[in-house]
Amino acid sequence: MSIINNSIVINIVTVRDGKDKTVPFTYNKREEKEKPMALDVLMQAQSSILSDLAFRYGCRARNCGVCTIDINDRPRIACRSRVKDGDKLSAIATLPVLSDLVVRRDGIARQMRGLKTSGQGNDLNVDAPDVYHELTACIECYACLDNCPMHARNFDDKLPGEMESDLPDPSIGYKYGNPFSLLKLERLRQDPINSEKGREIALDKAIDLGLDACIECPGCKCGVGIDLKNKVIKPLLEAAKYKI
Amino acid sequence: MEIQTEWLTYDVIVVGSGGAGAQAAYAAAEQGAKVLLVSKDPLGASDTKISEGLATVRESGTDDDYEDVLSENVKLAGGDLPIKKLTDTFAKYSKDAYDKYRVHGLRPSINKNKNGPQSLPLAMGGHNRNRSVGHENHGIAFGHANWASIIKEKNIEYIEDSWFLDLIVKRNANNIHGIVLGGLVYDAGKGVLLAIKAPSVVIAAGGLSTLFFPKTDTMRGNTGDSYAIALRAGADLVDMEQLQFLPFCLASPPSYEGLLAGEPVTASYLGVLRDKNGKVILNGVHLRTRAACSEAIMRAVVDGRGSPNGGAYLDMTANKVLPRSGPYFMKFLKTSLPTAYINARQALGKEAAKVESSWEIRPGAHYMMGGIRVDDEGASVGGDKEGSVKYGISGLFAAGQSMGGLFGANRLGSTSLTELAVFGNRAGIAAAKNAINKASIINDEFFNPYISEYKKLFGRQGTIASTSLKEVLQKESWEKIGPVRTLKGIDEMDNIIIDLEEKLIKVAIPDYSLWNQSFLDYVELRNMLHSAKAISLAAKERNGSIGGHVRLDGKNISAFSKPYSTLVNKDKGNYIVKKLDRDRTPIKRLIYYKFIGYKRLLEAKILLMLPKNIQDKKLEKKYKDIMLASGKVPEIIPGSTEGAIGEATSV
Ligand SMILES: Cc1cc2nc3c(=O)[nH]c(=O)nc-3n(C[C@H](O)[C@H](O)[C@H](O)COP(=O)(O)OP(=O)(O)OC[C@H]3O[C@@H](n4cnc5c(N)ncnc54)[C@H](O)[C@@H]3O)c2cc1C
Ligand code: SF4
Ligand code: SF4
Ligand code: FES
Repeated sequence: MSIINNSIVINIVTVRDGKDKTVPFTYNKREEKEKPMALDVLMQAQSSILSDLAFRYGCRARNCGVCTIDINDRPRIACRSRVKDGDKLSAIATLPVLSDLVVRRDGIARQMRGLKTSGQGNDLNVDAPDVYHELTACIECYACLDNCPMHARNFDDKLPGEMESDLPDPSIGYKYGNPFSLLKLERLRQDPINSEKGREIALDKAIDLGLDACIECPGCKCGVGIDLKNKVIKPLLEAAKYKI
Repeated sequence: MEIQTEWLTYDVIVVGSGGAGAQAAYAAAEQGAKVLLVSKDPLGASDTKISEGLATVRESGTDDDYEDVLSENVKLAGGDLPIKKLTDTFAKYSKDAYDKYRVHGLRPSINKNKNGPQSLPLAMGGHNRNRSVGHENHGIAFGHANWASIIKEKNIEYIEDSWFLDLIVKRNANNIHGIVLGGLVYDAGKGVLLAIKAPSVVIAAGGLSTLFFPKTDTMRGNTGDSYAIALRAGADLVDMEQLQFLPFCLASPPSYEGLLAGEPVTASYLGVLRDKNGKVILNGVHLRTRAACSEAIMRAVVDGRGSPNGGAYLDMTANKVLPRSGPYFMKFLKTSLPTAYINARQALGKEAAKVESSWEIRPGAHYMMGGIRVDDEGASVGGDKEGSVKYGISGLFAAGQSMGGLFGANRLGSTSLTELAVFGNRAGIAAAKNAINKASIINDEFFNPYISEYKKLFGRQGTIASTSLKEVLQKESWEKIGPVRTLKGIDEMDNIIIDLEEKLIKVAIPDYSLWNQSFLDYVELRNMLHSAKAISLAAKERNGSIGGHVRLDGKNISAFSKPYSTLVNKDKGNYIVKKLDRDRTPIKRLIYYKFIGYKRLLEAKILLMLPKNIQDKKLEKKYKDIMLASGKVPEIIPGSTEGAIGEATSV
């Protein structure tokens, strides 16, 4: 066993003051046969040569949804994605970068602020349909923003990093939606405790966010395998048929 | 450019967007208060979101689940340390608080006969009634409900990527207690300091298990901010030596280190612990307490008989090889604690997953039972016995894992999600009421020294990186104030903390304002150090083993001795440590519990002495008895007494 075999080089893209730099980092395997996750690489980098490397993580077990990064330009959940020699790790390209691999996320959730839909005071003791639980599996990882033309509208149909004009202000919530927000709205529509009025509000919100973008779109992909196309987009488009 | 300060005014600040924070914010807003919720993790990302999602709901199983039955259950499980007023409040409001969660979208299965949430089909070990409600998607379902309660209320402003740094407190003349004026926050997403005037602050910032990273299954953000912030503001902390460690967490491979692999009970009837030489170091594992398992593992490690990654081996193969009961054992293992089994399969490989070899395991930090000393409304208290708001920090509230006094020396499974709902709500309402007509009297001058101190940190020259100090602290905490402790170790910990605090001054922090990782690491490291200090002080005050505090060099504290809690406080830079008297449950009840424990151990011994074929038949019957029609067994909650049957009898 040579020393060379026991290390791999991973390219980490750091970002400070809007300028990015690719740092080739030599990861030393901690066990002979270790197949490290992307998160392991970032943690070792932080505890050695890149002590102020910024990245998010939480549970290390694919539950909290905060560690999403791009591996070779595709969104992946860092704590459960193995990497190999030569791979590139960078911030997800679909949201503005704050520092290194950390993006600003709050423009997404904020687009839903003040959305009051459930009819309170209804009987709580009703079973929810299976699809309600299927949608609840969403861990809010934002992998689904990748290649979503609706979300791209926020950035002149580009990625935030490619935008020439000023970036939209996330603190008021992005104007255009994304698969995650639509999932939340469809989940509200599937909640048995919601009123008809509440369902209507949820649907109108989806249209507001740009549901029309979905008509021509080949469909979205979820990081944890939720069937977004059939469980979210189709029913919303069907319900909105006469509205858009 | 120097980091800028923005001034804001609110009625209530809530720190944290886990269960306790979300519930507190919503309850305060419902009272008409203007609320600001800050959270360092993205909205809702918290222990609550990654939990197993099992919640205690009184009367969900049986009609005879009266308030005093549940209250006494929690108190006794906590080694008689819990405060009765808190366990009573917990029992009284568990149903209401849970229903609030349902309003925000939590949807359990419905029991048609009882027209209410469906509880698990068994009375969980330590629970004296059957009252734990499970949810599809586990904690993630709670995460969605928390998200919804924060998002939908217009009266709640929220800022994520924001680290609450310190409370601003005005001390009264005799310096015994103070009044909350607000708090200082670093908004990393915007790159500014926020000076927030608010007469009420609810701390819901969770626990401190990151002190033992990577030997923990909790979120990274558990850096003890709750306790450190309260301590610096002069608030009392109770029971800080009482940490729950789960004995069977993964020791390798590194990516899985710390994650849960099993509970004592999943070792099943024939599971044993072995050291590196294959020698049995504990038998009857399924009947032992977590503390007893942790102790056996760590004794082997201390003696140099530990496994390569500092643990021991959980050998369950004897269960597997029996021809009749073996297949039932495998079903039991796979379905009783499904997430743990999946962790083990992914981490240890196929052979281990089939239980053809033993599993390398090691304890991991899970939950802090102690915390900020509060009353039944989550308000900070001081003084003797159960304390009074007169001697607490006026305007300071705590809920969820950050609070102490409810669970004492041990927490029953599924009670934390209920605790955060009950006390999150109550703290939110009380915080809103406290804020009425108070916001306008707050003066800037109290904030200025804090602002300038934190500003000075940006651009500070230094020679050390926080991350290197953090790793030292984590390693030392594990060895000295971790799952097993000695007086010598605790004393050494004191010196290590002093040394690290000195080095903290030499940590380098660049001057940029936007998401300054070095600043964040510094702030969290300091909180971890202050929490570690509180643990070691409390640990020294308790010179025998009880619950989550295991002393290798001391005796077990008898259940019949007078119970007491520990208190830690910091006044004018000096730490104060005291004992607080607690009421004892009548002797007759205690003897009854002891008796059950002995009986179980005896039965287990007899089973082991039987010829193999008879043993096999008896076990087959036992497994069949606990299996449901679906061929599965009821799920066990990590941390529950059912997961460690011995816990129920170790009062
Ligand atoms: C794997 C696992 C399984 C579990 N299963 C169960 C179960 O089935 N049943 C049960 O009852 N309990 C369970 N528990 C325990 C339970 O999940 C937690 O104790 C509980 O969720 C804690 O809730 P909380 O609101 O107090 O804190 P958390 O949910 O941890 O929330 C803390 C919040 O505070 C924020 N924060 C921290 N510091 C700061 C700061 N300085 N500034 C701003 N924000 C800050 C964090 O970002 C986070 O939003 C489990 C725990 C784990 C780890
Ligand atoms: S289907 Fe709609 S939501 Fe999904 S990627 Fe396309 S535009 Fe986006
Ligand atoms: S829908 Fe899927 S990809 Fe999108 S945020 Fe949820 S879990 Fe992630
Ligand atoms: S760290 Fe929680 S999903 Fe990766």
